[in-house]
Amino acid sequence: MTLTSTLAQNLSALVGADAVLPVEGVSLDGVTPQAVARPADRQQLSEIIKWAAADGVRLFPRGGGVFSSLGNLPSQVDVILDLSRLNRIMDYQPADLTVTAEAGITLATLRRELAQGDKYVPLEAPLPHRATVGGILATGFSGPLRFSSGLPRDWIIGACVAGSDGAETRAGGRVVKNVTGYDLNKLYTGSLGTLGVIVEASFKLAPLHGTWAGLAAPFPSMSGAVNSSRELISQVYAPQGLQVISVDVAKKLGLDCPGDSGAVVLAFISGRPRAVARRLEESTRQLEAGGSAGSEALDEAGARDLLDRLTDLPWLEEDMPSLALKVTLPPSNVGSFVDAMELPPGAGIIADPGFGAVQLLRWTPAGLGDSDPGVTLALIESVRRNATNLNGSAVVEVCPPGVKAGIDVWEGCVGEAELEIMRRIKQNFDPAGIFSPGRFVGRL
Amino acid sequence: MLYHRPTGSLKVSSEQISPQGKWSAVQPAQFVESLKEIVGADYVIFHPEDLLVYEYDGSVDRSMPRAVVLPANEDEASRTLALAYREGVPVAGRGSGTGLSGGALAAPGGIQISFTRMNRILQVDTENRTATIEPGVINLDLDTHVRKFGMRYAPDPSSQKACSLGGNIAENAGGPHCLAYGTTTNHVLGMRVALEDGTMLNLGAEAREIPGYDLRGVFVGSEGTFGIATRITVRLLPLPETVKTFLGVFPDIDSACSAVSAVIGHGIVPAALEMIDALSIRAVQNVTDAGYPEDAGAVLLIELEGLWEEVDEVSREVESALWETGASDVRVAEEDSERERLWLGRKTAFGAFGTIAPNYYLVDGVVPRTRLTQVLRKVSEVSEKYGITIANVFHAGDGNLHPCMLFDEREPGVKDRAMAGAAELMEYCVEMGGSLSGEHGIGLEKKEFMPLVYTEQDMDTMKLVRDAFAPANRLNPGKIFPDGEPYEPSLQRTPAQADPGMYV
Repeated sequence: MTLTSTLAQNLSALVGADAVLPVEGVSLDGVTPQAVARPADRQQLSEIIKWAAADGVRLFPRGGGVFSSLGNLPSQVDVILDLSRLNRIMDYQPADLTVTAEAGITLATLRRELAQGDKYVPLEAPLPHRATVGGILATGFSGPLRFSSGLPRDWIIGACVAGSDGAETRAGGRVVKNVTGYDLNKLYTGSLGTLGVIVEASFKLAPLHGTWAGLAAPFPSMSGAVNSSRELISQVYAPQGLQVISVDVAKKLGLDCPGDSGAVVLAFISGRPRAVARRLEESTRQLEAGGSAGSEALDEAGARDLLDRLTDLPWLEEDMPSLALKVTLPPSNVGSFVDAMELPPGAGIIADPGFGAVQLLRWTPAGLGDSDPGVTLALIESVRRNATNLNGSAVVEVCPPGVKAGIDVWEGCVGEAELEIMRRIKQNFDPAGIFSPGRFVGRL
Repeated sequence: MLYHRPTGSLKVSSEQISPQGKWSAVQPAQFVESLKEIVGADYVIFHPEDLLVYEYDGSVDRSMPRAVVLPANEDEASRTLALAYREGVPVAGRGSGTGLSGGALAAPGGIQISFTRMNRILQVDTENRTATIEPGVINLDLDTHVRKFGMRYAPDPSSQKACSLGGNIAENAGGPHCLAYGTTTNHVLGMRVALEDGTMLNLGAEAREIPGYDLRGVFVGSEGTFGIATRITVRLLPLPETVKTFLGVFPDIDSACSAVSAVIGHGIVPAALEMIDALSIRAVQNVTDAGYPEDAGAVLLIELEGLWEEVDEVSREVESALWETGASDVRVAEEDSERERLWLGRKTAFGAFGTIAPNYYLVDGVVPRTRLTQVLRKVSEVSEKYGITIANVFHAGDGNLHPCMLFDEREPGVKDRAMAGAAELMEYCVEMGGSLSGEHGIGLEKKEFMPLVYTEQDMDTMKLVRDAFAPANRLNPGKIFPDGEPYEPSLQRTPAQADPGMYV
């Protein structure tokens, strides 16, 4: 192994060979970076940014790389900035229900540490042993519990971000309620590494107690499943998470699903035992009244296992879908959206009728070969049209680099007037264009 | 000391108002005529005597606007902004003027756009649980309206009976029930906003999440410096099945503080957790009978909500936490009328302070909740040191203090002592790991204290966002950030100005 690129050599001279990793096997949407830097600490990170800004080197911050398919195809990848060594818990105050941690900490580690004080952070992510807090924030990722737990933006209370001059600036703080200065935490959340490198974040926490239960309720049709779920979600005893999955997705999760056009409603329930029992009982009754036959109750272990597998499913390296789109729309339009979708072979749906989100996934069936890009593009087109008609928007989260080269994965998501403000923000924060250039909406 | 003691009047440098650094050549009379052409002659206020009521908000500051414009719709609001922009005139949005940090005050030579005419609830969507409203809608009016549909609007700030949703967005308003449900920012889904030049933008959407930078999120709480919301879509919550309110009576503040820690430490996050100290209890009981024992050192008001089973289980834990930490009495209210009586005391407190002293100055510090005991001890120290009576009625559950300095400004030197005491408390909150404001905003009032919390670079980074929304800085210039142009606080004149229902 040799450090072939000039950039890698320069980096090595700057922060030491220990902080430079081999590029073999590393890529961003199929593009091999010229170097991978893994700063040992915040000082090194700052030096790397200063160097990059001076030389116009493009940096692509990365945590666990779980969501690295997200964003437009980068024209050129200079340096992938691996933040996994910035992984300390800086301050954990269980009694205050707050934690401050560096961005490179994995969700699994953070959860484990927080559990020591009987608290948890209501963030969700696939592959929590890899997914980092920084990655979850940068992508604004939310999972099957988003209906009740909300989004990362609802839990972040403070952030330290290294800007284009390499210096860290702080926004928010470590208190759960704070209106001191602009709420930049919201701006950084979901900005996909285009405004700076999130180095540290503080969160509100929730008490960890009670139990879990779940329910898998098969329905003969997708629209029946969505309609029943919508009914259930409006009740006081609604579960904390409710997802409707199509046949292909059910099969991937090893769940029984009737027929070819059926669907399964998955309910996830947590809380104090008596309340969990009542939510489970009422949910089962209501879904059965809505047409479900043969629903299966899940115990704590079963429910948590299914929740994890469902969250992981679209992001499993060994079985990545070739195409994944995420649609967000008003919750009442979820039914119309799934009704209007004609799914090609290998495609499945995970719908969140409470929150108003639909994931459309496709695992390319074997033997389709070269004819497939056309099918993929047609599917993207129809999802977008459908979403737009229903006051929603669609983002292509996973797709083959060949297809991605011809599309804007964020197309139609942001209006021109709003995009102009986003352009100015990007320009003001990152005048040299070194942070993940080209990846975000409007190719910012 | 990092902060400047306010000495001058509110001044805004010309650069802050106009990028060209000069005032428009248009004469005020012509400007007023142009405003009248947009909104109609009846809806431009410009005679000095009519402007008096627009000179102040709920804060300690005053500033006379050049004119006040009352648009009937978004188009008029946008055209007013466009005109002001062309003429180099700064603009402040104004809802009900109940803000406590000076957010609605006009910059010198500036105008206010008042939204009292844009007060319609445009739509309630029971399917998606949202409401779309004009910015002048009063917070409590929205909540009352949507309760007919079995829903509610959760943030219930200070002057809920009087404050507008547009103002709530500007300040990211809180309130007792934000402990469980979050502040305004967690409840705003979408907004149409007018920028300084009148350009209209759509931030957020009916969908709870949209791609791109979260402009909606960073806009909420920007204190009217990014733009002015002209149409707002908020999230509504279903009404809970069961609500139960507890009154925990304690012999002193320390034991009440340990009860707060014990409740939170049990893994309970109630819907609301409020503390009322002995002085405030006396004040409340002077004006109404909320049923608070007059010999108590402090009371806690705790509200639980949820499924019957949850509330039932948690109730027992709350009760035992209260008894274990030394409560002398615990009362439980389940009927609406009983609960309302308990809340009445909380909601009457600030008006009731008038029975103790004619003037007050309110501090809005926030600290990690485990520091409450320490900070409240500091409050007593400050009270003694400066010879100022201080009452405490506040959101204990999230560590958001409201020490209220009570005095009579006719007493020589007392005003300065009160301000110095307030400054010392703010500094102490920051030292304890806290912040300057939990829910009232920085505005004019606390802008010179910002360096206690943020470095110059932190604040410069914040300004990068303002420069993107409002490059000419014509909206609410001179607020939030220290500018070396301190102001003279003129203090709340009489407590009678406070809405009797106001609770902060």
